[in-house]
Amino acid sequence: MTASKRWLPLTFKIALLTLLLLWTLIPVVWMVLSSFKPNNIITADTPRIFFTPTLEHYASLFSGGNSLWPYLLNSLFIAGVSTLIAVVLGCMAGFGLSRIRIKGKQHLAFWIISTRMAPIAAVIVPLYLLFRYLYLLDTHAGLIVAYLSFNLPFAIWLMTAFFDDLPPDLEEAAMIDGATKLQAFRYVVLPLMTPGLVTTAILCFIFAWNDYAFAQTFSGPSTQTIPIAAAQLLTQTGIDWGKLLAIGTIVVCPMAIAGLLVKRWLVQGLTLGAVK
Amino acid sequence: MATLQLNNIVKDFGGTQVIKGVDLEVKDREFVVFVGPSGCGKSTLLRMIAGLESTSDGDILIDGQRINDVGPAERGLAMVFQSYALYPHMTVEDNMGFSLKLAGVSKEERRQKVLEAARTLQLEPLLDRKPKALSGGQRQRVAIGRAIVRNPSIFLFDEPLSNLDAALRVQMRIELARLHDELDATMIYVTHDQIEAMTMADKIVVLQGGVVEQIGSPMELYHHPRNRFVAGFIGSPKMNFMTVEVVDRRGEGVTVRLPGGGVCNVPVGSNHLDVGKNLVLGIRPEHLVLDDQGPLVGVVQVIERLGGSTALYVQMEETEVIALTDGNTAHQVRDKARFGFASSRAHLFGADGLALPSLQRHPLADIYRKDNRTHTETSNY
Ligand SMILES: Nc1ncnc2c1ncn2[C@@H]1O[C@H](COP(=O)(O)OP(=O)(O)OP(=O)(O)O)[C@@H](O)[C@H]1O
Ligand SMILES: [Mg+2]
Repeated sequence: MTASKRWLPLTFKIALLTLLLLWTLIPVVWMVLSSFKPNNIITADTPRIFFTPTLEHYASLFSGGNSLWPYLLNSLFIAGVSTLIAVVLGCMAGFGLSRIRIKGKQHLAFWIISTRMAPIAAVIVPLYLLFRYLYLLDTHAGLIVAYLSFNLPFAIWLMTAFFDDLPPDLEEAAMIDGATKLQAFRYVVLPLMTPGLVTTAILCFIFAWNDYAFAQTFSGPSTQTIPIAAAQLLTQTGIDWGKLLAIGTIVVCPMAIAGLLVKRWLVQGLTLGAVK
Repeated sequence: MATLQLNNIVKDFGGTQVIKGVDLEVKDREFVVFVGPSGCGKSTLLRMIAGLESTSDGDILIDGQRINDVGPAERGLAMVFQSYALYPHMTVEDNMGFSLKLAGVSKEERRQKVLEAARTLQLEPLLDRKPKALSGGQRQRVAIGRAIVRNPSIFLFDEPLSNLDAALRVQMRIELARLHDELDATMIYVTHDQIEAMTMADKIVVLQGGVVEQIGSPMELYHHPRNRFVAGFIGSPKMNFMTVEVVDRRGEGVTVRLPGGGVCNVPVGSNHLDVGKNLVLGIRPEHLVLDDQGPLVGVVQVIERLGGSTALYVQMEETEVIALTDGNTAHQVRDKARFGFASSRAHLFGADGLALPSLQRHPLADIYRKDNRTHTETSNY
């Protein structure tokens, strides 16, 4: 009786998970598969799983008058720089917020994360006006600032949580061993923070990489990112399904791999037996 | 060579005083133990000495130099944390050699010094392991090794043995005492275990509520506790207390009436004591002896037979008293038992909790550790 009691929910769980997996994976798998199909098969009435793969869509994306390269470089540069800044500042602010003893620390921490809670739609118009005054429209810096405004509070909040998990004993031991505060941070805290830094970096990168709304509003001809390129393929004269699916694959794959990495780091314990 | 001096130091945590003016003098190569109940400020005091907590008021001096404003790195101390605080991403060797690396010592010299310390602590086979792959006792030894390698002027220990099991604790206690002998270093050791304090210390500092209750050698604290708190804290099982009445204070000592009507002359000073006044008499369990003519009588409630000795928990009127008697005691629960004690073993405490001063000083009370260096020198002749 007890066995079946446990057994039933387990099958139920597995069934639910399978359903969820199918629900999330099928469109992605279909997109990736189809991006390697010749055009006639993509639009064929009966979906086909077996076909001779072709790289023609990828080839045409990176050649010709409107190559994807500039978009890809823009995306990498903007997401990369904004992530780097968010992680460096987030790391320092998080360390401070976690270690310093001041009154009302929780309120300060909450205020910082609360700035992340505004919906993108609410800040887009004010930011647009601000950027116009500051001549930041159609600049890389503009988009970097826009992503930072969301990623920085998030990075600070996440890094604070990671630092809270790291016992201060370790830095103190380092300082007694003769390290300056900076050396203790460099030789003891930072190496142990790798999982936290990688996790934060990947999550920040994903936000900037995936964004469409900010890029659509603030970018100009020279600063457009990949999601904008994808949107441009939905033209009035028709949709180039092959190219669109190929772009989709290029956008999703790095992030999917990064997602798997985050999981590995997150699962790994932070303190590794430093403190019993 | 290192002495430490605390002059009326105070620690204020956002309005609450945790250390309320502590004075202390630690001599060179002395083993000083801070002991007291949980929350009394032992760790805070140690961390102030280490430089991990700022000092709100008062002065800390090492070798006569005021070091209040010197950072922990420059104080030249080493500390063993209760949590060990080993660097989890470094091997045992790197953990132990970290301070040397920071000091810019060459790799070979570093390795040699680490090996030397590892040999003392039997850590050689573990040098390439990470802390994760060590047992609790091994981690403990690495933490001590890390301190030794630093060659500090003063060693600080914050409850280093409290995470170990009982057998290992006894072993490490002995090892630490031996290390202190070998290293000839000044050590300050925090514990809430009075047995550790008694067995290891040259000098014990009893703390309560951020205040020093008494400083003295283990034997001095045992035989001449300054007040009721120290009397109850030092010694195991705890000292028994009972209310007595002064009946005579002429001549030597004070004569008091015990519960049950017996009288006893305790050899203590008696300034300004009125006949009829109530005092508290303290007598340690090990100083109560079964005696058919004794003045104290009660009914045995619980018997704990430890083999070598037997603890009797006896109800005497309204107070419960513990007596540590011979292991062959044949008493049974609910038996009547009569006890006596040597009056020189009794302590008397006034209403303020302070002990009345003994007329004779115990011969062992002022025996301190032998000076190790002079000892070895003389033994060479
Ligand atoms: N950072 C802090 N802020 C405020 N109060 C503190 C802080 N650190 C310690 N205290 C308080 O100071 C008092 C003494 O703490 P401390 O850690 O020194 O006690 P302890 O004697 O070491 O106790 P234990 O035996 O439990 O380790 C406690 O009441 C504690 O709550
Ligand atoms: Mg403590």
